[in-house]
Amino acid sequence: MTLLAEPIAQAESPLHCEEIVKRFNGDTVLSRITLSIAPGSILGLVGRNGAGKTTLIRILLGLLVPDSGVASVLGDPSLAMTDASKTRLGYVPQQPEALGWMRVGAMLDFVGSFYPRWDRQYVADSLLRWNIAPAQPLATLSLGERQRVALIRALATRPELLVMDEPAAALDPVARRDLLRELALRAGESGTTVLFSTHIVSDLERVASHVACLHRNRLVMNAAVDELKERHALLHLNAEVAARVPAKLAGELSRRRRSDGGLSLLLVRDAGADWPLVSQQSGAQMEVLDLEDLFIELTA
Amino acid sequence: MSPHDLLIRPSAPEPIYRQIMEQLRRLIASNQLPAGESLPSVRDVAGHHAINPMTVSRAYGLLEMEGLLERQRGKGMVVAASHRRAQTNDRRLEQLEPWLQDIARKSRELGLADRLVLERLRQLLEKDK
Repeated sequence: MTLLAEPIAQAESPLHCEEIVKRFNGDTVLSRITLSIAPGSILGLVGRNGAGKTTLIRILLGLLVPDSGVASVLGDPSLAMTDASKTRLGYVPQQPEALGWMRVGAMLDFVGSFYPRWDRQYVADSLLRWNIAPAQPLATLSLGERQRVALIRALATRPELLVMDEPAAALDPVARRDLLRELALRAGESGTTVLFSTHIVSDLERVASHVACLHRNRLVMNAAVDELKERHALLHLNAEVAARVPAKLAGELSRRRRSDGGLSLLLVRDAGADWPLVSQQSGAQMEVLDLEDLFIELTA
Repeated sequence: MSPHDLLIRPSAPEPIYRQIMEQLRRLIASNQLPAGESLPSVRDVAGHHAINPMTVSRAYGLLEMEGLLERQRGKGMVVAASHRRAQTNDRRLEQLEPWLQDIARKSRELGLADRLVLERLRQLLEKDK
């Protein structure tokens, strides 16, 4: 499919899976998912609720056993990660574990003692910036604060690979922007590879270099963000022009009949190529899509 | 120039690297960014706007290839001294291309006669002379 990026050699990819299938109680949740992340890239994983994002992340990290297919993390099989690889991986689950009896500072010190590259300065700066007192018991934190602590904990390990499941969901806009900035700069300066799942498409447009979309248990899109915007558009045709177009236009991905008898077509073109000639006729109108619209068109 | 001077709209139809390129082209063409002026570092722009640094380097790199920017040791990216020469008529017209195509397409969509559109465009061009 034209929407899927060239596969990256498995050996170079810090996070990779091939032909992953997963069923729960007979329902297929993931159907033959193959995905590779290039080192230093930021991949945004999007999809509607229940599309299988969390399941895929858990399989990639070896927290869940697939029915078939293989996954690898930092060169190890996901289901047999070495301790050395684990110290190079940062993971922020959707619902961070509570450890409610500990205080913030004590928990972070405790966790830090397991990581050779633990960044105490980053912890101190982040707690201050995000207004979290080290003496506060974890049990008393709000959901957003707990998510912030989980992010600090993952980022302070200076991971080579950072995986986050809906990291921005419980953050206010300012904290979200802080997080995005941190991700962007880490990827740029330390070459950190990042995978995050999100519903918030504008976050993705800011920092992601690539985007993958899960829909109905399949990967329907995996490509560079800049390319997606330049290569997709919606073509609206009035009834008169619609009556004259062929059954399938070059690059047509989907077709919707409108109530006025016209057509709306989702088109893709090669980089640098022109749109089909019919788009130049009167009665035809091109609409450039932002990513959010594109997802809606692809997954509605 | 500060990173603040760039306007980034993530959900605009144009990719972010193109938004950066177009704004810099315009600032350079209008001499608001004169030759020799330093550009903010990739890190500063990426940090300020919370965008991917690769996006900023891509924009800078493409403008360097176009001859509008040049890398200067110790100063990072600066506006190229030769940019006036680099800006041939063709080059400058090229910058208008997306808007011209947009106008052409929209007037077709509206079914307007060419001469009406051209006449109005001429009026606008002559207004400020």
